[in-house]
Amino acid sequence: MRPVSKAVVASAMVIALPLVVHSDFLLTILIFSFLLGMLAVSFNLIFGFTGQLSMFHAAAFGISAYATHLSMKYWALTFWEGMLFAAALVTIISVGVGAICFRFKLKEFYFAVVTLAFSEMARLIVLNWNDVTNGSLGINLQDKPTLWIPFQGLIKVDDTLTWYYLSSVGLGLTILVCWRIVHSWMGRCFAAIRLNDELGDALGINVFRYKLAAFATGNFIAAVTGSLYSFYLGFIEPGFLSIDQSLAIIAMVLLGGRSVIAAPVVGAFVLTALPHFIHFSAEVRAIVYGSILILTILLMPRGIVGTLTSRLRGARNAA
Amino acid sequence: MGQLILGQLLNGAIVGTLYGILALGVTLTFGITGIVNFALGAFMMLGAYIAWYLADGIGMPYVFAVLGAVLVTAIGGFIADQALFRFTRNNLVNGLLVSIGLIAIMEGGALLIWTSTPKDMHYVLPGVLHIFGIVVPKMKLAVFALLLAVILATYAALTRTWIGRAAYAYAQNPEAARLMGVNTGRLQTGVVVYSTALAGFGGALYASLYSLEPTMGSLYILKAIEAAILAGIGSVLGSLFGGAILGVTEGTGSIFLPSAFRDAYGLIFLVAILLFKPAGLFASRK
Repeated sequence: MRPVSKAVVASAMVIALPLVVHSDFLLTILIFSFLLGMLAVSFNLIFGFTGQLSMFHAAAFGISAYATHLSMKYWALTFWEGMLFAAALVTIISVGVGAICFRFKLKEFYFAVVTLAFSEMARLIVLNWNDVTNGSLGINLQDKPTLWIPFQGLIKVDDTLTWYYLSSVGLGLTILVCWRIVHSWMGRCFAAIRLNDELGDALGINVFRYKLAAFATGNFIAAVTGSLYSFYLGFIEPGFLSIDQSLAIIAMVLLGGRSVIAAPVVGAFVLTALPHFIHFSAEVRAIVYGSILILTILLMPRGIVGTLTSRLRGARNAA
Repeated sequence: MGQLILGQLLNGAIVGTLYGILALGVTLTFGITGIVNFALGAFMMLGAYIAWYLADGIGMPYVFAVLGAVLVTAIGGFIADQALFRFTRNNLVNGLLVSIGLIAIMEGGALLIWTSTPKDMHYVLPGVLHIFGIVVPKMKLAVFALLLAVILATYAALTRTWIGRAAYAYAQNPEAARLMGVNTGRLQTGVVVYSTALAGFGGALYASLYSLEPTMGSLYILKAIEAAILAGIGSVLGSLFGGAILGVTEGTGSIFLPSAFRDAYGLIFLVAILLFKPAGLFASRK
């Protein structure tokens, strides 16, 4: 199947699903999967396609969640204006962080450690700036975004169905943007950097510029996700910026698959849905989560989607 | 004020050796197997709980409890190596993620067995010493001395014995080392096991000083990795100095600056080092 027809089938399924499924429980899981899927897909632009193990993604997500709320509170912005402000802020910060890391040619492990250091600093600021961020207690968000819908006027997004469509549009746009980037000359530069950045440099690719482009784009989408996610959840806390959040994003990408743009959504869905369907205590959940991570890496290094497609292809070739 | 600074320096140095013993494990594992074992923090936690259980739960003498903890973590390290790390040699990202999965399993297991209630061990060595007008618990000094001795002994073993030279040779050129008769598979397993045993030893000593919680390892492993990078990965004595520098920076930093940000001082220092001296402070041998 061609990618365009695949996309049409997938979006038709997503649009039609609420007509068949009326369970709020299922739709809620899907909303979380879509939002976390946006996060995972945008992370994969940096990690899977450009080969940079960034630990800054959770920070971009969390900073934006706080910035959206705070700009709305102090400057009386609407949600969408707050989201734009937060996304701009995060993009500026990540260009700064990325410029430092890439200018000094930090690679692999060192890049991961320095981005981790920056995101820990951001977390410590959020955690300790009590007057503004309410510290470790977090903030309850009462507001909901509003949307203008033809024939209905301005509505508040607070029911499950509207959130479902809003998050699926967000995910669709994310996949579209990433698809356009990866399949352009920019994507080929990303791939060159992933495979061998010194060779890419020798061939005249501006490694610094394209690494920075991937990093900033990924973090921009993470910022948009942060605004949406926090207002859907109705709660923000410093845990949004934690190392665990970064690791959860990495786990989603690995579980889904690194080489296909939309594959991390599958990982996001599995990791979101699993705890809801099987009731574990928090301790057992950590053990199951760790086991899934280990088994995926050792047995399915290409993730669920990668493994399935190669199986299907193998079956087709055999037939 | 002078006493306060001196006290913090001493405290920083003691905590720094704890960072150092984990950093030593990080450095050795990275040099020989090409992965960063984040789970060393979890092995430290395991060692601490085993020592606490053997000493307070069963009532063994503390010395045997420490030996028991080292033995258990070494066996745990061997199992982890054979079941997991053997398959991720020289694959940094996979090794990282496997060790993170292992942390989740170990911490989850510890929460199931020992719950999240902090555990305190009885005083092994009560009493204090007065040094230059500051009060130092005897046990803290004993822990400091023991960790220092183990790190120095490791350094001596690496530079003086055949196996140590083999490890250095392997870190420099795996192919050549193999041709010279180094059993590389066994060397790699040995280093993973040794580093987990070191972490277990550090944890067992930690148990005599501080409260135990199942999540205690994550902070220490981050500090240890900072220390290892600060010193320059691959430098054995550097991991000791890196740990000490980090401990002292945090200790003295929180006198003059808000202590809520004490974890950040080391990070800022680390970023500065990585940017301006990327090989680390003490990197001379690879």
